[in-house]
Amino acid sequence: MSSSASTSKPTESSKPAEQQKQENLPALGVLEEDDEFEEFAVADWDDSQTDLAHLGGAAPGAAKSGGDKLWEDNWDDDDIEDEFSVQLRNELAKTKGTGNGGNAMEH
Amino acid sequence: MDFSTYLSQLNDALMAENGPNIAYLLRPTSPHGKDLVKEFRNPTKVSMSRFEGSMQSPWDEIAIQYVLTCTHIAKKRPLEAFKEQSQLVSLFFRFFTENHGWTLPALFSMLRDLRDLAFDADLYAKYNNQKSECMEESARIIAKAFGNCMTDRISPPNESRKWGVYYVVGLVLKCYFRVKRISLSKNILRALEANNDIPPLSAYPRSHQVTYRYYLGMLSFLNEEFAKSEQELTLAFYHCHIGAHSNQERILTYLVPLRILKGHLPTTELLERFPVLQELYTPFITAIRVGDISSYDKALEKWERRLLELNLWLTLEKARELCMRSLFRRVWVASEKSTRMPVTMFHSALQISGIDVSLEEAECLVANMIYKGFIRGYLSHEKQMMVLAQTNAFPRVVDRPNPYALL
Repeated sequence: MSSSASTSKPTESSKPAEQQKQENLPALGVLEEDDEFEEFAVADWDDSQTDLAHLGGAAPGAAKSGGDKLWEDNWDDDDIEDEFSVQLRNELAKTKGTGNGGNAMEH
Repeated sequence: MDFSTYLSQLNDALMAENGPNIAYLLRPTSPHGKDLVKEFRNPTKVSMSRFEGSMQSPWDEIAIQYVLTCTHIAKKRPLEAFKEQSQLVSLFFRFFTENHGWTLPALFSMLRDLRDLAFDADLYAKYNNQKSECMEESARIIAKAFGNCMTDRISPPNESRKWGVYYVVGLVLKCYFRVKRISLSKNILRALEANNDIPPLSAYPRSHQVTYRYYLGMLSFLNEEFAKSEQELTLAFYHCHIGAHSNQERILTYLVPLRILKGHLPTTELLERFPVLQELYTPFITAIRVGDISSYDKALEKWERRLLELNLWLTLEKARELCMRSLFRRVWVASEKSTRMPVTMFHSALQISGIDVSLEEAECLVANMIYKGFIRGYLSHEKQMMVLAQTNAFPRVVDRPNPYALL
């Protein structure tokens, strides 16, 4: 049997105009419009076949500080060094120089 | 397999109360479907009527409907195939409502096929410029199945048809999403919530749980109930089978921005498993980490069309605040974490970042950061000075009490 029972397999393919518009963008695979949440191949499974497995008892989505390595909730970094840091310090020095800077007012 | 063998196998499966086998026998893609199409060539309801009474009702008619459905599929008449399958399902309901939950595998399979046929039929109609509402119709039929599961008051708890409710609801929602008539979901969800004598969701098979939570999460997202959405999608993701990669990817597409808003950035380890999402979200995440607003804005612009299609543009536009927070935090770090900072410092930082705003606007942005709990302190408008808290002036984003309340 050739057809039927074939959801989530869109047969649309030719949309030349739209494709041109999308040329500069990478395809998003499953996120294309005609795709759907798929039927699961099996009805049930246990923790070892899910992302619960790596949690070791931590709450799902608790982030690194809570034992979930998939998410990070503390990303503040005091030591970023880039062009922006340099410009920022120069700007700060200027404000200080004119005597109305923030640090000048402290203590 | 010829038709009389088919009938006797169907009969055996019924006697044995073998749900999966009935599902197999009624699946249009099963190998015997082809045999039956060959046997009858051009069957019609009239020509097949001679088989009525050859089995206990309604199974004689169900078997006939099966032949008709298979024939239409083989002859590439998807609209007709859908119609015959609809009747097959309706006939099955007569049997279903008088039996226990052993029939559920057959029900699930039939409804799935019905929906798939509706999908094919609507697509076929679309390409032939015909009007077709098979998906809506299939949603109506599947919603009836929901009622038929809910109203089981006689089966013993373990064999109740109520074990079918979440799967069926998932399928109905899938229909509504397909035809973009999402507001219709309210009715069935209300009916589900009104019943408190069904087993807890966690007692159902994981495939039912995950599908249901995915759609509930999506509905909440579209209704801008972000806290609920984040909660449902988190559970959907963590209970999803790792092998169902595209489903996990689909869940994460919405979960990632929701969690970013909350103050949880996905780690490289997570994103590497989903290259499509890595490509989409990495520019935003990198920009948030270092407070690079102009890169953030470029990413927003680059992905604008796709993000709009996915209804995600606004969410990422809101997450821009986190980028702003990082920028302001860097200004603060560069000022040796001073507790007093002139608004001009923030203004300059914005200018350096390529964000051309007036001093008044900069002040407003700072005020907003305080109001939303990104910065602890107050603003002296007269002195054009921000006074920061002695401790924890920039709390972690995740520590804000109601991250979704002030979007």
